[in-house]
Amino acid sequence: MTKLTTRLVFYPAIVLVYSILLIPLVIVIATSLTVQSAPTLPTDGVTLDWYVSLFENQRLIDAMVVSTIVASATAVVAGIVGTITAFGFVRSEVRMKETLATIMLLPLMISPVISGVAFLRFGSLLPIPRGYPQIVLAHSILALPFVFLIVRSRLLTFDERLEDASVIMGANRLETTFNVTIPIIAPAMIAGMLIAFVISFGEFTATQFLVTPSTTTVPIIIFNQIQTGLSPEISALATTLVILMVIVSVTGDQIGG
Amino acid sequence: MKFGNVQLPELPSLGLFRDRSTGKILMAIGLGWLTIFFIIPVFVLLFESLNFGSGSLFENYSTALSSTYTRTLGRTLAYALVTTIVCLTLGYWISYYIAFKAKRQMLMLGFILLPLWIAIIIRYFGVSLFFLPTGPVQQLFGTDFGVLFSTTGVIVGLTAALLPFAILPIFNSLQSIDEELINSSKVLGATPLHTLRTVVFPLSLSGVIASALFVYILAAGSFLAPALLGGPGDFMMANVIEQSFSYSIPLAAALSVVFTGALLILIGIFNHYANISEVLSDL
Repeated sequence: MTKLTTRLVFYPAIVLVYSILLIPLVIVIATSLTVQSAPTLPTDGVTLDWYVSLFENQRLIDAMVVSTIVASATAVVAGIVGTITAFGFVRSEVRMKETLATIMLLPLMISPVISGVAFLRFGSLLPIPRGYPQIVLAHSILALPFVFLIVRSRLLTFDERLEDASVIMGANRLETTFNVTIPIIAPAMIAGMLIAFVISFGEFTATQFLVTPSTTTVPIIIFNQIQTGLSPEISALATTLVILMVIVSVTGDQIGG
Repeated sequence: MKFGNVQLPELPSLGLFRDRSTGKILMAIGLGWLTIFFIIPVFVLLFESLNFGSGSLFENYSTALSSTYTRTLGRTLAYALVTTIVCLTLGYWISYYIAFKAKRQMLMLGFILLPLWIAIIIRYFGVSLFFLPTGPVQQLFGTDFGVLFSTTGVIVGLTAALLPFAILPIFNSLQSIDEELINSSKVLGATPLHTLRTVVFPLSLSGVIASALFVYILAAGSFLAPALLGGPGDFMMANVIEQSFSYSIPLAAALSVVFTGALLILIGIFNHYANISEVLSDL
């Protein structure tokens, strides 16, 4: 194929794909800078006023704090449970292992709206307190398949003879776990935890059933504001999140390699 | 293992130092956690969908299977199918370019992965700002093409949200094709299109199936796309379940069971032809 035909064949795909992926993000960022009171493109000058009003809005600040607490707790819970599960799957031989692995992925396959309803009903039957405990548990279940998949794929390339070497050198199992095993899988575990953080921070569908007035998360606020009246302040809030998430992903890339 | 110039025999893994039952315990912890906080709650919902009061046990199901709701179910499965077709077409097209033609592969992939880090609600918000009467489409073309609050709006939104999930598995499968096979096909005189049809496409099929499965499941379960970008007639199952939850929990539960059942049947049929667990491990 000549260079020209390659271009003619593939340029439409490049334009279409990158437009549909990136224009929404660019528009959100651009409209946060408008001087008008509706979220429009800043064709007549830019201002950071909407960021100022954002950081003066106590409700939004509170939601940011709630989301950060929830996402951090989710990362820890999903990170630990996901890693334990991945270890279990790689280090044991049982019948129907593939089927059991598929079961671990069920939270991905069942609509989050059903997960949310189910969790709310279950939470009211068992004494799981509303607010943080319910939201964190629900989020960590939704993030679990991702942590499991990431850590498992890392463990598949793990050389178990390194642990044997440690044991031969006289370390006990606890020392081996903390000095050999965990440092080797730490990058995968951290990558999994960062993904759990990001999933939790952005989750809306299941969360809408579980929030309480004092534990309202950022996506809930954004949804309500989109429904009640558009203001560039939502764009400013969304842009702040975009920046936060890009920082998280770049950090993860540095650590996770 | 080499030691100086002497080839040493490969040592067996000293598994005897490791207690093999630990793996099973760890596995049980993970599966137990999932059972307690996910599978049991879903079964609680199943229990609540049955009517144990007066009247028929399946009363809620007769409502859930009435024409209003089966129409919503049909719409949900149809929207998911259209989204899947659009995503696979665009996904294959761009993946082929990145895998075989692009010079800056990593950069191009990076921009495809970037949106995955941004909350989906923000991306839908961006799509709606784009098509808003005060948005750039209106400013540029003088018309917004009626995209917002319509079926097209839902499909555009779902495509924007799910495209990365379509691209990644397809790209992976294309990337792992031995280029010598493609070269041989060319040398033997096949046209590029013929090579694509008889060599490249069959070898990338596992990635295509993984993409299709991912996109279909995620699209069908979407709540936000119809809520933010669709019109009143575009509600999908997730929206109807959310709505019914506020006035009848048993009905919401029955609808959840019907919807999940329908999807599981589809997945079951799919699993007959390709193993899901293998497909998903491509992620």
